[in-house]
Formats: sequence, C-alpha cells, structure tokens
Amino acid sequence: MTRAGSAAAALLALALSAAAPAETVEGEQLVFGSFRSEENARRWAAELEHGLGREIRSERVYRDDGVWYRVRTAPLGAEERRAVEAVAAERGLSFWVVRGRFDEPDTLTSSARAPAAAAAPAAAVVTTGSARTAEPGPVAAAAPPESREDDAAARSETYLDVGLQTRSYAERGLDGQDRFQPSVSLRLEYHRAWDDGRQSLTVTPFVRIDQDDRERTHADLRELFWTRVGDGWELHVGARQLFWGVTEFNHLIDIVNQTDLVENIDGEDKLGQPMVQLSLLRSWGTVDLIAMSGFRERTFPGPDGRLRTPVEVDTDRARYESGAGRGRVDGVIRWSHYLGPLSVGVYHFSGTGRDPQFALDLSGGEAVLIPEYHVIDQTGLDAQLLVGDWAWKLEALRRSGHGDRYHAFTAGFERTLVGVLGSRTDLGLVVEYMYDQRDEAAFDTLFEHDLALGGRWRLNDAADTTALAGVIWDVETDEYVVTLEANRRLGPSWLAVLEARVFAGTEPLTGAAALAELLDGDSKSGFLQQDDFIQLELTRYF
Amino acid sequence: MGKGFFLVVLDGWAGRAAAGGWARVCLRNLALAVGLIAAAAASADAPPGEAPLPDLSGMTPEEQGLTIFRAKDSRESGYGDLQVELEMILRDRRGTESRRELSISQVEMERDGDRLLVVFDTPKPIRGTALLSHSHLQGPDDQWLYLPSMSRVKKIASRNRSGPFLGSEFAYEDLALDDVEKFSYRLMGSERCGEADCLRIERVPHDEFSGYSRQEVLLHEPTLRVERIDYFDRHGRPLKVLTSDGYRLYEDRYWKAHRMFMENLQTGKTTELLWKDYRFATGLDAERDFSTNALMRAR
Repeated sequence: MTRAGSAAAALLALALSAAAPAETVEGEQLVFGSFRSEENARRWAAELEHGLGREIRSERVYRDDGVWYRVRTAPLGAEERRAVEAVAAERGLSFWVVRGRFDEPDTLTSSARAPAAAAAPAAAVVTTGSARTAEPGPVAAAAPPESREDDAAARSETYLDVGLQTRSYAERGLDGQDRFQPSVSLRLEYHRAWDDGRQSLTVTPFVRIDQDDRERTHADLRELFWTRVGDGWELHVGARQLFWGVTEFNHLIDIVNQTDLVENIDGEDKLGQPMVQLSLLRSWGTVDLIAMSGFRERTFPGPDGRLRTPVEVDTDRARYESGAGRGRVDGVIRWSHYLGPLSVGVYHFSGTGRDPQFALDLSGGEAVLIPEYHVIDQTGLDAQLLVGDWAWKLEALRRSGHGDRYHAFTAGFERTLVGVLGSRTDLGLVVEYMYDQRDEAAFDTLFEHDLALGGRWRLNDAADTTALAGVIWDVETDEYVVTLEANRRLGPSWLAVLEARVFAGTEPLTGAAALAELLDGDSKSGFLQQDDFIQLELTRYF
Repeated sequence: MGKGFFLVVLDGWAGRAAAGGWARVCLRNLALAVGLIAAAAASADAPPGEAPLPDLSGMTPEEQGLTIFRAKDSRESGYGDLQVELEMILRDRRGTESRRELSISQVEMERDGDRLLVVFDTPKPIRGTALLSHSHLQGPDDQWLYLPSMSRVKKIASRNRSGPFLGSEFAYEDLALDDVEKFSYRLMGSERCGEADCLRIERVPHDEFSGYSRQEVLLHEPTLRVERIDYFDRHGRPLKVLTSDGYRLYEDRYWKAHRMFMENLQTGKTTELLWKDYRFATGLDAERDFSTNALMRAR
C-alpha cells in the first residue's frame, strides 16, 4: 500500500474506533413498533428519527410467528430514557420498553478490530430472557396503526429537468428563415409507487418553447399511466412510450409511438400514446397485447422553422382513411424472447399507420401539404445475435393497406473494441444497410438503399463522455448525411449534448423548382440541403 | 450510453460463474455440504461468521489455495436475495471528486447463476439507467441495459472484463471477486494483519482477456474475508491495490465490507466504494423483479 493509502486507512480506523466505543451495553430500549415489512420499519424509523432528534434503528427480530422488524432506540441509561419518553408522550407516540444487556451490531466495525466481539448477531437481543418477557403480548398491539403501514408503503419521487438549446445553421433557410434558433424545454417526472411496488403512477409532461418556430413551441404528455404488476403479468393503462428495435441509424419497425418530428429529425423523440397494454411473461417469451386509441398526429415545423419541406404541412387539416378518425382503436400483438445470444421480437400491427402521406392542396390560394393517415397492416421483426465482440442486427417489416404490399429492412452489425490502443476508451464500429422495396416511391423515408457507417466512442471517464459519429449515404443518388452526437456531464447535475448534421450530395431546392422537385424521389433530401446545423443543449437536472 | 458500457458486469459477483458447468455445481454443493457440517460441528465454539479451515495438510500450495477459495465461496452462498445501496467516489490525482449512487438487487438461483439489477440514482443526468444481468453456470451471461431517454432496452455483450466499471478504477472483473474457477491459486504463506492471522494467496486469471498477470489476495483467516488485493498488470508491474474494511456480519453468516478502496499505482487515481444498507431476504422474485420488463420499471 502506498503512504497515502495507509494514512487514509489509519484515519478511517481511528474514526471508526471513536464511533464504536463499546460492544456490550447495559440499558433499556424504547420500541416504537414492529413491522412485517422491513421497508416500512425503515421508513417509520427515519420519520421518528426526524421527529425525536435521536438515532432510531430498525432491527430484525425472530419470533415464534416469524420475522419482524422492530423500530427502536439505542440502549439508553435511565435518565436518557426518561427524556425520550417525555418527548414521545408529548407527541402521542406509543412505545414499550425492553431491558437487558445489548450487543450493538449497528455500528461500523473496522476490520482491525476483533470480529467476534465487534458484531454479535442482532437476534441475541430477543433471546435475552428479560427482553422477551418485556415484550407486551402480541406485536400488533404495539405496532402503530395499520394505516401507517399503508402510508409508509407509498413512495413518491419528482424530478425536473430544464434544457437550454441553441441550433446554429450554416445558411439561411429556403424562405430566409433565421440562422439561429434558441429554445427552452422543461420536463417534469412524477412517480408514485404503492402496494409494495406492485402498483405505480407515472406522469411526465414535457414542454418546449422555441423562439422562432411556433409549431416547435409545443407541449406533450410523454407519459401518464398506471401500472399493476402481478405474478407473470403486467397491466399498463394510459399514455406510454414503448421502443422496439435494435439498429442505430434507422428505427424502422418502431411503431407504437408517433414521432415528435419538431423535436429532432432522428425519430428518437416520441409522443405519448394512450393505450391499454397487457404483458404476459411466460417461459417461452413475453407476449404484449396492446389496444390504442386517441391517435397522435406527427408534428411538423412551421413556416419560420427549419428542417422542413418547402411547402408548409397543414396539420390542422389532417385526413384519416378510417371513418373513426383519431378515435379508431388500433391493436398490436407482439411476442419477444431471447435464447442465449439471440433475441427476437415479432409483432403484428393493425390500425392507422404513423407515417402520413401528403396531398398537395392549392384550394386556399397558397400551396399546403395535407397529411393523410391510412389504415395499414404491418408485421415487424427485430433480431439481434451477439457473438464475441460482434452484435448482428436485423429489423424487417412487411406492410399492406395503402398501395401495394411491400417490405423493408435494416440490417448490419456493431463491433465493439474495448480499451483501444491500451487506453480506457471503447470504440464501436457500426455498419448498417437500409432497404425499402418501394424505392424512390417511398414517401415516408429518406432511406431506401442507403448505407450507414458509424463510430461510437466511450471514454469511460468520470464525466461519462460518449460520442457517435456517422455518415448515411444513398448508394444510388449519392445524397448523404453526416451526423455527430456527443454527450458529456458537467458536474453532478448538468449534461451537455452536442449534435451536428450536414446534408449533401444533391442540389438545394429553390424557387418554383422546389414544388416539382419535392415530388422527385431522386433528391428527397433536397429541401434539407440548406439546413446543416450544430445544436448545443445544456440541461440542468433537479 | 450503450453497447460496451457494462460488459461483464459483476458477473458472478456473488460467486456464480460461467466456467465449470455442472461439475462445478456438484463441487460447490459438496463444498457447501462439507462447510455446513463443519459449521454445525464447530458452532459450539466458533463465533458466528467464523469456521475452521478445511484440513490443508498433505496438499500442494496450489491445492491449498483452491481449497481455501472454495471454502470462502461456499460461506458466501445461500443468501437468497439481497438489496444494497452503493456510493462510488472517484478521485483523480488532483483530488477532483465525482460521485455515483447505485441501487443493487440480487437474487440467487437454484440451478443457475445469480441475477442482478443495478439502477443508477445519481449523477442525475443518467438517473433511471439500469442494468440487468442473468449470469449462467455455462455459456456467456445475458445482459440488458435500459436507456430511459429512449425507453429502449438493449441486450449487450458480456465480454471484455478488463474495462473500467462506470469510469472507476474498478474493472468489471474486480467485482467478480469470488469467482473460484476462473483462477488458479497458490498459498504463499501466513502473516499477521491487525489482531488476526491472514493468508496470502496468489491467483492467476484463466481469462486471456483479463487485465492482470496475477493478483495477491490477503484473506482474514478466521472469516476468509478479503483484506487486501494487489493487482499486477500484464507485464507483471504493480498496478492497483484494493483494501476492504468496515466489515459487518449479516444473518449470522455473511461478512460484508462497507468500504472498499482501490488505488491505481500507475495513474494515482482512486475509487472508494461505500456499501450501505444491506437488506437480506426482502422477498424479491427472480422472475417478477429480474425480467426485462422489471428493468423498464426499475427506478
């Protein structure tokens, strides 16, 4: 051991020996109740400790009728005892007294001390004759009222994070939109669990206020759901977020939640979807049965926003194939399982598709795009195989309902190199190929025959620094997108995220040509060519 | 966070290992039975948590080392399930501190390796990230990472044991301390440590991907708990020193360190682990509380 190490150890031993002066204590303990649940005993102890301003412990005791958790003081001298009794009586707390010689197991014991004497078992307390006789009959009589157990079993948490985001674009937009786009976001998370954790409520509202884009100024209930966990099943009712898929550059088969496109064009921000979800956990896999209603429309940037089509999307006039509109009940059934290195998920979705098609409308005098949502049937597959450093990935779907039935897939691998060049850094190499049978007619994706190459760095440092850089290249049209995303924590409560995207390989859309070219599948990313940007986001977590 | 972040993770943290298979289970059970009988026979005079060592006479130093580690392993089995809170304090050479708090739940399986759930509580930007590990007696472990920002569960590879655990000076393999069959052993001798005797045992990892050429483990003889480990890098140079203290006895049987201190001798960085609030037999269910669904619910 180095000098610093041994000095630290010596200091620690000193501190410990000061904190734990005696092993056996003569005295009396005030017991404020016994609980079946250790969790409840600990909560009650913490509450009492706060109220009485004195150390209160929870201790396991073994009785003929099983294990109880007793909430008690340390052994007290007569005078101390009277003082605590007075405060407790004043607060209307009931208690009983246990007398005897106590071995105190609750203080930290340095390894340098003789182990046997230092930490005798807690059970010894009850086997002391005087202690047993002092216990007043049934434990229930001494325990605080039943309702206390219920109160104590509930657990609430609230979190808030506030983000400051700036997007800086290389050029002005197609219609002269601003180069600088700041915004603020707030995300609140409230969680309450009760019934021994078997039931819970989660509420997560989100809001963003954008300086330029009125459509990007928006609010959403990301989550608002109740959960009940049984043996072999789980029930969730309310708005939730579910992600399905394995690949990195494209989230092809993910279908339950609508994309919150104004947040980010990477499709990783989603709107809360109201649903009833029943999960059945079996030895042969997990089956999810989901019924959804209250369809969520995709969000689109407004006229002053960036990363948008040259013609505005008029979300107020969205059309539905289904007569029930947003009220249609959509259903999905999914089976997922893993077997050694292989994980598989298969689902079938029947309902209103999340990807709209656009109809050009000139009736208002000005051209707008009207989103049309069609009823589809989609079967989706995701699979991942882990072999050594390699993760092989596949997502595939088959969709029918609107136009011809077609299939699409994303397949590839990620190879992780640990400790590259003797450093602490891990490097991941990602290669994925994306295919869509509809080719250039695929209106809802930029990826029909695209190859993605990426690198993922993980510095394994105290600040959790990671970065993912990549390029997605359309092998037929030569359009490409360069992406970068890097994260670093700044201290315990701040997170900095840097994102950048560069669009290239085709001509920017301008003027009257824009409309015609918009419908040209060979330069789908044309309208993004002027939207290269760097985004910096600082988030404070409370 | 994602792939490779948590590779091996605590695989066999409490002693369940991939290597060895059924032969190992049988050996373990045998060792356990022998240990229990010995414990029963000795219970009249041995203080709780202590037991006499198996008879080591007539063995080579290698067999002695292995026998001692088997006895240690069997003493640490049979806990059922447990929960514990862990605080990690990372310090660099200049003394800059960074803290992390994790909640850990663990359950012992009857015919398989342990299951482990680790939930990150702080720092807040990664709160809710969680890791689930099902270790297996045979074959690689199953591990999943939950990323709350995307509600995404990712199955991750469980190799690469030598990588740093959460940016600390602990490697994943350091937290698989009592993984008996993954090392070969040699009893080097006995020495005084504090008021008791300690055994110094050399162990050499079998894993070709280990970051170490060898380790020297100092075991407190009456209880077989770890007092100190000296780690040597692949070139045989001293790399790290681990000291464990603040031991407390639980359930009359399990000695748990409440503080571990790892110092990297080559970089001067240190990591302190503070274990808090051990709870045994809290009624965790191997299926309900250690499924990928439970991973998504964890907080």
